[in-house]
Amino acid sequence: MDFRPTPEQSLLQEAVAKVAAGFGHSYFQERARQGAKQDELWSALGDAGYLGVHLPERYGGGGMGMAELTIVCEEVAAAGCPLLLMLVSPAICATLIARFGTEDQKETWLPPMASGRLKMAFAITEPDAGSNSHRIATTADRSGDGWQLTGTKHYISGVDEAGAVLVVARTGTDPTTGRAALSLFVVDVDSPGLTATHIPVEIAAPEKQFTLFLDHLSLTPDRLLGTEGDGFRQVFAGLNPERLMGAAIATGIGRYAIDHAAAYARERSVWGQPIGSHQGVAHPLAGAKIELELARLMLSKAAWCYDNDDASAGEAANIAKYAAAEASLHALDQAIQVHGGNGLASEYGLADLWGTARLLKTAPVSKEMILNFVAQHSLGLPKSY
Amino acid sequence: MCPKLSFLPRVGQVPCISGTIRDMNVAVCVKQIPDPAGELSLDPSTHNLVREGKLVLDDSDSYGVEMALQLVESAGGGDVTLVSMAPNGETSGLRTALAMGATAAVLISDAALAGSDALGTARVLAAAIRRFQPDLVLAATESTDGYTGTTPVQLAELLGWPSVTFAKHVELGEGLVKVRRQTEAGYDEVECPLPAVVTVTAGVVEPRYPSFKGIMAARSKPLDELTIADLGIDPSQLGAAGARQEVVSVEDAAARQSGEIVVDEGDAHERVVAFLERIKVL
Repeated sequence: MDFRPTPEQSLLQEAVAKVAAGFGHSYFQERARQGAKQDELWSALGDAGYLGVHLPERYGGGGMGMAELTIVCEEVAAAGCPLLLMLVSPAICATLIARFGTEDQKETWLPPMASGRLKMAFAITEPDAGSNSHRIATTADRSGDGWQLTGTKHYISGVDEAGAVLVVARTGTDPTTGRAALSLFVVDVDSPGLTATHIPVEIAAPEKQFTLFLDHLSLTPDRLLGTEGDGFRQVFAGLNPERLMGAAIATGIGRYAIDHAAAYARERSVWGQPIGSHQGVAHPLAGAKIELELARLMLSKAAWCYDNDDASAGEAANIAKYAAAEASLHALDQAIQVHGGNGLASEYGLADLWGTARLLKTAPVSKEMILNFVAQHSLGLPKSY
Repeated sequence: MCPKLSFLPRVGQVPCISGTIRDMNVAVCVKQIPDPAGELSLDPSTHNLVREGKLVLDDSDSYGVEMALQLVESAGGGDVTLVSMAPNGETSGLRTALAMGATAAVLISDAALAGSDALGTARVLAAAIRRFQPDLVLAATESTDGYTGTTPVQLAELLGWPSVTFAKHVELGEGLVKVRRQTEAGYDEVECPLPAVVTVTAGVVEPRYPSFKGIMAARSKPLDELTIADLGIDPSQLGAAGARQEVVSVEDAAARQSGEIVVDEGDAHERVVAFLERIKVL
């Protein structure tokens, strides 16, 4: 057992930290408030090849795995710039294309995604089928030699900055189970028949949420990704990377919060000594640090399991996501508390991250669905839903 | 095409010319220092900086590395070789510079080097650089942890090469280097025959970030570790024993005086101008 990062992982971590530090939380906060994007940061990460570290080298990637991509994601978040689209475009969409795409599809989509020139959104959730993908009602019907897509998708991140959306749609019914047979389609955002409506949310992040209306949207046959009707199984290949990245954003926010809180507790003095010398301040912060490091350890293990096709990859990714979201929220809460009234002040750059940190307890998979998974698969308890 | 120059040793090899392409071989002196963002301490007996644990590439050296990469790119070919000295076998700072694009690295690592002063360091660097005779040696004007700023010129003297310090702009000419040398009043334009030692200021160029491809490529780049026996240097000239300089005591820096606040009563601009003239900014 070796817990040390490789020299390349250490170099990657240092390099990403430097790039992200050149932007920093005040840049992130200002852009998010203005409703502007983080294009310069995204481009800087893409130019250096950091957004494609996990993709095959022949498609412009770095040839490594999720261990490296989670390092990138965590470092950017630890600099105060959590980028939710990192778990969508490189982690879910590019992973699925690399795994199930034809040679043409890989050559078309992966190089621009690896370099950051193209972002791809992911559309699975629907108004009546949140975590239950079997109830997906968006349908792709055969039309000539292509497809026609109709339906509504809900809470789709970043459609306004994406060039394409990977849409999960029903292409039939499984005759044995009666459940939806799902398929994946790559849809250009400017396709006729696609309308995106902004859903206002209380999250100070560059990524906006959208309802996506698909109205008899025509697709050529080359837009089907993978095997028709095999979408449910294929989507699962993208969900573990998504969970790992959700965990990595959370641990990054946790690191940011604890670093700021510890620095403040060392400096701030109102009773003649730094407030960090009071155990009422020090112990909760130390506790939050312990929880965070445990979550980071689980994240490293989960990324290793995924990269090495270990049988426990799914369980590990779920546990890491759960632990990271909890540790991150606790760390941020404690950091705000350590700062007293300043904890809510804009200039201290903590409270505005609350929405993103809190989101990660709900998405990309809710705390409750993870508990269901662990109860059923790790403990052998009856399925509860 | 001229053959690709082999890395080490390359004693006495002359840069080859092929059409318009002239390979330019640059050595960059780099120092691996304790992370300035971390906890730093001085050894209570020697007053030297404690250098145990992980070392990182001195930020001030990243400018020299970038400058070297740009000069070699503009010349159309050549090698950038890093030369570094450390009492332990630390290589992570060198890996950072290799990931930026340097061709190879030489680390002189020997327990006998502990406590070396600037001249001892220059002796070691000179011996390593003589082995491959680069066209140009770049160094930072001073290191971030030591700040003596004397090693590069001592190195030039030991090599018998000219040195140009405080370069804010460097470009190559035929057999020479053209330097804009920062002065208090502006800059001097200096031309200097090669080989030479040039020290570059922070900000002379914008250091690139190591790309992920660069990071992965650094894995297979040559990183030679040499001892002082390999270099044939007399150990008595090196380390604490050979040091001519000794830190006899250390004191805390004086606390900074509070500044003068200029309240504008209609004459603030005059007082600010007078202040700037007093400190010779204007």
